[in-house]
Amino acid sequence: MLHSSLFRLPLACIVLLSLSVGTLLAAPPEGYRFLSLTEATQLASSENKPMLLYFGRYGCSTCRKMHAEVFNDASLNAKLNGAFVLAYVDTESGNRISLANGERITEMQFSSRSRIIGTPTFIFFSPEQKPLFKKAGFQTVAQMNQYGDYILEKHYQSMPLNEFIARQ
Amino acid sequence: MKLRLTGFWLLLIIFQSQASDHWVFDSRSAVTGAATDRVYHHLDGPGRKHIAVTEQSVAAVWEDNSSQTPQIYVALQSLPSDSFTAALQVSNGGEAYEPSIDALSNNRFALAFEQDASVFVRILSTEGLGEPTRLSQQAASHVSITSFSDQVFASWRERDSGRWFLKVAALRIEASNRFIVESVQSVEADGLETPLLFPVIAVNAAGLCVAWEDRRAGHTRLLVSHSADMSKPFNAPQSLNEFYSDRNEYDKGNGVTRVSLASFGEDEILAAWMDKRRGGNGYGIFAALGADAGENFGPNEKVHGEEGDRQPHYNPATAGNQAGDFVIAWDDFRRADSDIWISTYSSDLEWSQDHAPSVASGSGEQSHPSIALDDQGNLHLLWIERSQQDSPSRLWYSLGRPQKP
Repeated sequence: MLHSSLFRLPLACIVLLSLSVGTLLAAPPEGYRFLSLTEATQLASSENKPMLLYFGRYGCSTCRKMHAEVFNDASLNAKLNGAFVLAYVDTESGNRISLANGERITEMQFSSRSRIIGTPTFIFFSPEQKPLFKKAGFQTVAQMNQYGDYILEKHYQSMPLNEFIARQ
Repeated sequence: MKLRLTGFWLLLIIFQSQASDHWVFDSRSAVTGAATDRVYHHLDGPGRKHIAVTEQSVAAVWEDNSSQTPQIYVALQSLPSDSFTAALQVSNGGEAYEPSIDALSNNRFALAFEQDASVFVRILSTEGLGEPTRLSQQAASHVSITSFSDQVFASWRERDSGRWFLKVAALRIEASNRFIVESVQSVEADGLETPLLFPVIAVNAAGLCVAWEDRRAGHTRLLVSHSADMSKPFNAPQSLNEFYSDRNEYDKGNGVTRVSLASFGEDEILAAWMDKRRGGNGYGIFAALGADAGENFGPNEKVHGEEGDRQPHYNPATAGNQAGDFVIAWDDFRRADSDIWISTYSSDLEWSQDHAPSVASGSGEQSHPSIALDDQGNLHLLWIERSQQDSPSRLWYSLGRPQKP
């Protein structure tokens, strides 16, 4: 049931600008440099870095569990903070984001349009800003590290993720 | 035997169809012109109040970027005409979002919208648009408007000195078709450290009801508050959604969002919202019926039928009338593309089977419904259509006529 409409959108079509009357309504894990999707998109493009897009929800229990049991891992922190550009979207937020095609929608509408059904959902992008794969629900430290290695070691250029994982 | 079975299923299908088709919809009519490259229409205001009906007209209000920046527009259809007037631009600032509309006497409409981080109200009459009135003093958004016998009220969120306030204003209509702010109060005088989102207001003979998304509990809850009239303070907020998941030490509650309110009957309120209590199936549509203008709500009720039990649902809108009719519309993609779905009470006082009006379903994306019920029970339906999710859009309208039993 995980539709992948987001995968039909190149990263360049996602977000250029976010507008908000309010404050940041999101709750990404502490100790990570999660940016707004606007900032992250621009940074990833300018530095040719892979991007991790994290769809969360205020009060999401699985997100909290991952923050406490997965994102607290020092090696994962170093990998994600060092090599990835990190973006966070609150799936119930009214904050507005602006797409490259000129449309402005709220983070919630962007999430539903991207068929994000549950949180957390992670979408990993290549340094070329191509969406590679989506993972929904609780992910272990080992899994998150595998996803990172798959991209950083450029295995995505030669094999699908499942094959890479099977070889580990 | 095979023929008998075929006949049985045919009868069953006919019966189900009759049970769910409370309205027969006319052909759709275009509210906006054909989809244009890079022009996108949005119906995203609090409670999804984007259509209203007087005895003479139906009016639709929306946001689009046809003038390069997001602005608010309104279009009218004289009844029983089947075409809308050209759109009138309602906002006049840099950017404007999330409008709301309700009907007034003498073929007038009350409009509210966010513009450049303030919220405004404005009257549309047969003479055109009256002068706008600014409601907010500080950064504000998420404005909703409602009326009862030309008593007009608006709610919005406002941020002052780092705290979030839910404001409610009583508005008076001047002879020049301009709103005057008679009084403003905060539902909770001290405001909140955590944000409140998308408050919506409804009014009837028994008073005022506001509902909103509240994050003070560490997760989102829907809260509701009632006041008999604006001379009295609002009651202490009560929980509207009554289910909170508690699966593990991290779980404070499932997601709930985008509540819509509608008054029906003499003094009742319908509330509907998106609710993630079903876990991995995404949002369901849940509702509650409130007596005494929302002072007392009944138990939460699942709205969508079994067919939608394993599907996510989005964008609920509510409508009611003084005759006591009420209805909920939403969209979901159970048929791959998004369609509009409708449910109301059946004769057995249960939510009916989900019904997808043919005018607002089929190929392409039909989404973001807004609805109004007139006193004859006609259902006025407004929605967005796109060929694909990220395609240019246009707005459509259809009139649903109540089926005779």
